[in-house]
Amino acid sequence: MPEEYTPPASPTASYYDLSDDDEDYSTITHTSTGRGVKLLYTKSKVYVHPTPSAKDNIPGFIALIQQKPPPSENTSSAPAGTVDPAHLLLAWLPESALGSAYDTYVKVDLLDTSLPPKQTYLVPPVPISAGNSSLGSYSFSVPVSQIYSLLVRPPSLGWWWGSIVINSRGGDGFPALFFHDSECASTIAQSKARARENFDPFGENGEMFWGGDEVLRWLKRFVKVERSEVEKTVYLINPSKDDLLSFGQKPVIDSIAAKKNAEAAGSSSNNGVAAVMDPFTKAIKSARWTLLERFARVTQFSRQTASNLLDNPNLPPQVRKLLRNPDVINLQDDFDSARLYLARWAMGIAEQSEKERAQIVWKREDMMEMEDSAVGEFEILDIEAGNLKTDTDRRRPVEMEEWESWFNKSSGRLEITVDEVKERIFHGGCDQAVRKEAWPFLLEVYPWDSTKDERSALMNSRRDEYVRLKGKWWDDVSRREGQGEAGEYWRDQRNRIEKDVHRTDRNIPIFAGEDTPHPDPDSQFSTIGTNVHLEQMKDMLLTYNEYNTTLGYVQGMSDLLAPIYAVFQDDAMAFWAFVGFMERMERNFLRDQTGMRAQLVALDQLVMLMDPVLWKHLEKAESTNFFFFFRMILVWYKREFEWNDVLRLWESMWTNYLSGQFHLFITLAVLERHRAVIMDHLQHFDEVLKYINELSGTIELNSTLIRAEALFYKFQRTVEASDRKHGFPSPGTATPIVKLTHRRSTSSASGSSAAAANKGKAAAVDGPEITEPLRSLLSRDIIRVEKKEPQDVTAEAAGKGKTPMRG
Amino acid sequence: MSSRKKVMLKNKNSDYKLKVIILGDSGVGKTSLMNQYVNKKFSASYKATIGADFLTKEVLVDDRLVTMQIWDTAGQERFQSLGVAFYRGADCCVLVYDVNNQKSFETLDSWRDEFLIQASPRDADSFPFVVIGNKIDVDDGKRQVPQKRAMAFCQSKGNLPYFETSAKEAINVEQAFEDSLDLVIARNALAQEEAEEYTGDFGSSAIVDIGADSERDGCAC
Repeated sequence: MPEEYTPPASPTASYYDLSDDDEDYSTITHTSTGRGVKLLYTKSKVYVHPTPSAKDNIPGFIALIQQKPPPSENTSSAPAGTVDPAHLLLAWLPESALGSAYDTYVKVDLLDTSLPPKQTYLVPPVPISAGNSSLGSYSFSVPVSQIYSLLVRPPSLGWWWGSIVINSRGGDGFPALFFHDSECASTIAQSKARARENFDPFGENGEMFWGGDEVLRWLKRFVKVERSEVEKTVYLINPSKDDLLSFGQKPVIDSIAAKKNAEAAGSSSNNGVAAVMDPFTKAIKSARWTLLERFARVTQFSRQTASNLLDNPNLPPQVRKLLRNPDVINLQDDFDSARLYLARWAMGIAEQSEKERAQIVWKREDMMEMEDSAVGEFEILDIEAGNLKTDTDRRRPVEMEEWESWFNKSSGRLEITVDEVKERIFHGGCDQAVRKEAWPFLLEVYPWDSTKDERSALMNSRRDEYVRLKGKWWDDVSRREGQGEAGEYWRDQRNRIEKDVHRTDRNIPIFAGEDTPHPDPDSQFSTIGTNVHLEQMKDMLLTYNEYNTTLGYVQGMSDLLAPIYAVFQDDAMAFWAFVGFMERMERNFLRDQTGMRAQLVALDQLVMLMDPVLWKHLEKAESTNFFFFFRMILVWYKREFEWNDVLRLWESMWTNYLSGQFHLFITLAVLERHRAVIMDHLQHFDEVLKYINELSGTIELNSTLIRAEALFYKFQRTVEASDRKHGFPSPGTATPIVKLTHRRSTSSASGSSAAAANKGKAAAVDGPEITEPLRSLLSRDIIRVEKKEPQDVTAEAAGKGKTPMRG
Repeated sequence: MSSRKKVMLKNKNSDYKLKVIILGDSGVGKTSLMNQYVNKKFSASYKATIGADFLTKEVLVDDRLVTMQIWDTAGQERFQSLGVAFYRGADCCVLVYDVNNQKSFETLDSWRDEFLIQASPRDADSFPFVVIGNKIDVDDGKRQVPQKRAMAFCQSKGNLPYFETSAKEAINVEQAFEDSLDLVIARNALAQEEAEEYTGDFGSSAIVDIGADSERDGCAC
């Protein structure tokens, strides 16, 4: 029945007899073409949210539509009783675009979907579009066969409305579709029906019924819908074996992983169930609306207002319970974050209640002005991150056995490619024991192609060199006594180092002790005591001060040295590894701060390119100096993550596997993670700075790394797309960077020279679309300070002033 | 009783926000002073400040709530070149040195100059500065800057208020910050009075005012 395009001529077919609608189907055939497509299912009040403001939301219909197969295919392509998914379209149309077909959509929405369709409804054909519609309208449709997966988020606290994002095989971006269930006639009817049958609106599993469930149900009638075991919000459509491989790695649906997940789900009952609302949201959802509205007016939420609320006799038990929830109380204790947290929540409710009071009339002009849906964009990113997350094999730490297997047993020379090593460490990090072995390679103490004997000889000479450098200040009595200008400078530096070492990572056991008497009775710490590791740290930093005389010791360096020393606990090795690290970090510490400035400028341009909506918001908040990322960039997130996470993060970034400046993608990932709060609640520079500063200690490393990687790929595609548009090939197009394994080393000249060659061309076309600071983010080279001509750095940075993306 | 109490605020409906910047050499105790004043806590384990951060404290001035935003910055000179971002709109600057560290005292002048260049306040000559000599809890034998010398310096810079504090022992910290609050309120009141001479109107701006002389003299608190 369903594969039939036109209804049978005879009205004796049972379904038509049951029809309670006497409207003739032929009258709803599209008038201009005389042809229509079958509207199988549709749901009303499905919105696109192009901006964070509710007044910009566009109401529309999500629909499953059946097209007539081309005549050549006739009926042979699909077995009887089924529909070729290529002829099924999943579409979204704004209400304003429906015209005379609107009534048909309303009618089909209200049909009882639990029964087979009684009648065929024809609507005007919907053009297949890529979603990135240039018309300014968001309407789109995509053949079901072209859908790779759906990202399905049931309503939750963070996302008041449940949403679905379509991820097509072509990688097209579609905006997220939000199901405004409280306005949707069919969803209201369906949940009422459920309540009648089960006496429980939440259903037997505790999940609240919502509109997105219906869409999955529609699709399941025609295609295989598989929920990813690894990423619970992802549903794969008709997954083939290839689809099950993500980035050529492990299958998404891995039977072992599935089993593990099932076991994990067993222990915490909530995790196993699909599309389920958390009980918190459930409580809020079922609370009376007017009260929530009143609650939402509490913008200056404080402990006092919270307790006032508690005293309110009209408070529904759900909300009362919520306010007594220990987690919520903890948040209140941490006043600032609680205010923000509750403000974020309250404002979400306020916005929705405002919307319920007055339906906003959508104007055509407003629609024309709209850009890509911001929300949709980053939901797509989640899918990518979800795919990346699935390679569990790649993301386990390199252990000693694996590390040793990469080297020749007798010569000790590396037998796999450098990129293979880097790929593993980039994705998986190192086991604690491997760090001592791997870090000297990553930090350029050992050449990758060295033998065991060569490394041992090299290290011997490095040890001698360290002793010699240390002797330069150690044996210089006049300087140590502070004589002359050199002596005064040296003493200042020593005092600086002394102060900083005594306040660096003292919570780490090796740096904690104060049992050794201080060697210098004049030190401000002479009465407190020290320990051997602190003294080693001081000596290494004073030696670096001697090694790099133009830079000397600068605050922040002690933070960079401490993890390296703690891993090696060998001063000479730690010193040279630190020197290697400083090669790339040196520009952070320049007297004129040009290196830091250049990175903040690159970050500014990166955000402008990747997330213009957020960028505009930050500009309004006078925050595009990105100064609040100063600390993160200066000492590479040392103050933001726990000790072990720092080690893991640094070794990833040291590989330069994707970019020599991957740390800026970490910054972007952190920013995107907190995008919603920033957009909704942070209006001024000081608010943004405070919020970002307080993220310290709260950032989850693994998801940040995955997000940063996904953002890098997205950035890479953006640059390539822009290059194609501007008519010159990017050096990377032929070889996607994911398959870099055949390249030999980071010093491959191709990247930078090709980029340089293209520079002139780019300028000649359409203005600096992808600026040099941005293009340099694609390079795996690190940016070093030019030793002989430091003024070059200054000139370069000055030239990289804030240039708008378009001229 | 602090003189602050004699200050009366006009325009009851607006919040008053005040921005204070703490400057001084690395390790003189800027972060400790801020935390002692705002959180009444001292910790020996602060890390060197990187970049900038601030804390806010709400102070009651004649029944009106004044929000002080106190900015703490990195002490190494080179990091100040990016300071414009957070110096802007400052109402007061607190210069801190360590009484046991001669060098940190000698740099006070350049901290002051650097601030005036970067913040470029409207009326640089009368911009409120407060000087703090911190770490007076350390035993006398180690003191390098005599009080007399510090006071002479403050006098030469236009009678800057001077406090000797210990963030560790919570000595004089509150007084120092509240004095900076008084200074700003007094200065803004003056500006307000001048503005009123032209407009004859209090306006709706959130500006505080000192009470009339009679009120000030007659205040019994």
